[in-house]
Amino acid sequence: MADLDTSSGGGSGRHQGKVRSKKLSTRVDLTPMVDLAFLLISFFMLTTTMAKPVAMQLAMPQKPKEEKVKEPVKESQVITFILDENNVVWYYEGLAPDEVKKTTFSPDGLRKVILDKQQKVGRVLGDPKKTIALIKMTPDAVYKNLIDILDEMDITQNEIFAIQDLVEPELAAVKEAKGE
Amino acid sequence: MTAMCDVSFLLLTFFILTAKFRPSEAILIDSPTSRAEVKAPDDILTITVDEEGKAYIGFSVPKRRAAVLNTMIERYGSKYPVLNILTEAQKQNFVNLELLGNSVAELPDVLSRDPSEFSNAKLFTGVPKDSADNQLGDWINAARAAAMNESYDLPIAIKGDQVANVMAVKDIIETLREREIFRFHLITSQEGKID
Repeated sequence: MADLDTSSGGGSGRHQGKVRSKKLSTRVDLTPMVDLAFLLISFFMLTTTMAKPVAMQLAMPQKPKEEKVKEPVKESQVITFILDENNVVWYYEGLAPDEVKKTTFSPDGLRKVILDKQQKVGRVLGDPKKTIALIKMTPDAVYKNLIDILDEMDITQNEIFAIQDLVEPELAAVKEAKGE
Repeated sequence: MTAMCDVSFLLLTFFILTAKFRPSEAILIDSPTSRAEVKAPDDILTITVDEEGKAYIGFSVPKRRAAVLNTMIERYGSKYPVLNILTEAQKQNFVNLELLGNSVAELPDVLSRDPSEFSNAKLFTGVPKDSADNQLGDWINAARAAAMNESYDLPIAIKGDQVANVMAVKDIIETLREREIFRFHLITSQEGKID
């Protein structure tokens, strides 16, 4: 009743009733659909795992309540890094900031300094793992620098490090090195 | 082919339904990259530091927020009497707040606003964290106490912007140390991947 007569032939009316519609297969090619489905699956799988942020573990020491007897530290074990503005790192070895040297966060800068120090400590004390890195920062440093230097500690496997407050002689030494 | 199509769409539906949208963040933080590959826990207290050094607190579990707010009202109610007359609607607003970035004194005003305004960064002035008025520390205490009621030791993460002043982050680390929290996470994005 509601069918449309799509038969093109005719005209004469003689063939009416004999024209049959072609039997089309109901099967559709599913390949593009499956392709699309798998594409979306891979997209959702990848994005769900990527969005989660990663975290870096940091342990700070307890605030000293009373002065305890501490294990003596040899001067040659210690290297101090001072983070400054414009991604500059000042460093000095030993306990007094007699001369501060300048380095940067490039792989042949800071990393080399730490590895050299570890070698030196290894020669003197027999164990490069005894290197103690003190991390200090001027008020001009940015947070990225702190993460970068902590990352560098991880890369060089320098296990003993501490974040400390900058003291006056160090600030003076940095200023002097900058020529202020 | 039909079976394969069925399976693929089943998987597709599963991933679409389980995918969680990242909650829209009012404060855009560009975290620094690191080599760390450890994932941060889901139930965590996040202290965010934006590029100006302002601090924000994010409580990851909404159901615990009401208890945290009540603790803070007890603590600051005598100093700011307006806190004692917070309505249920305002408290509900606090539960819906993803990121807290105001001092306690501003809280009643912020909470009486429409939740759609919470994505407006101008609304947030930062949680006071200096030693004279360390509200940040009190929020941390309150959140940890609420988690402790469920015998859960709430981990704490600091999420700082790359260009945030390092002293602002150090203030927070000192605040945590004063509260005998010596282990915490620093949220970073993975090196080589663009977040």
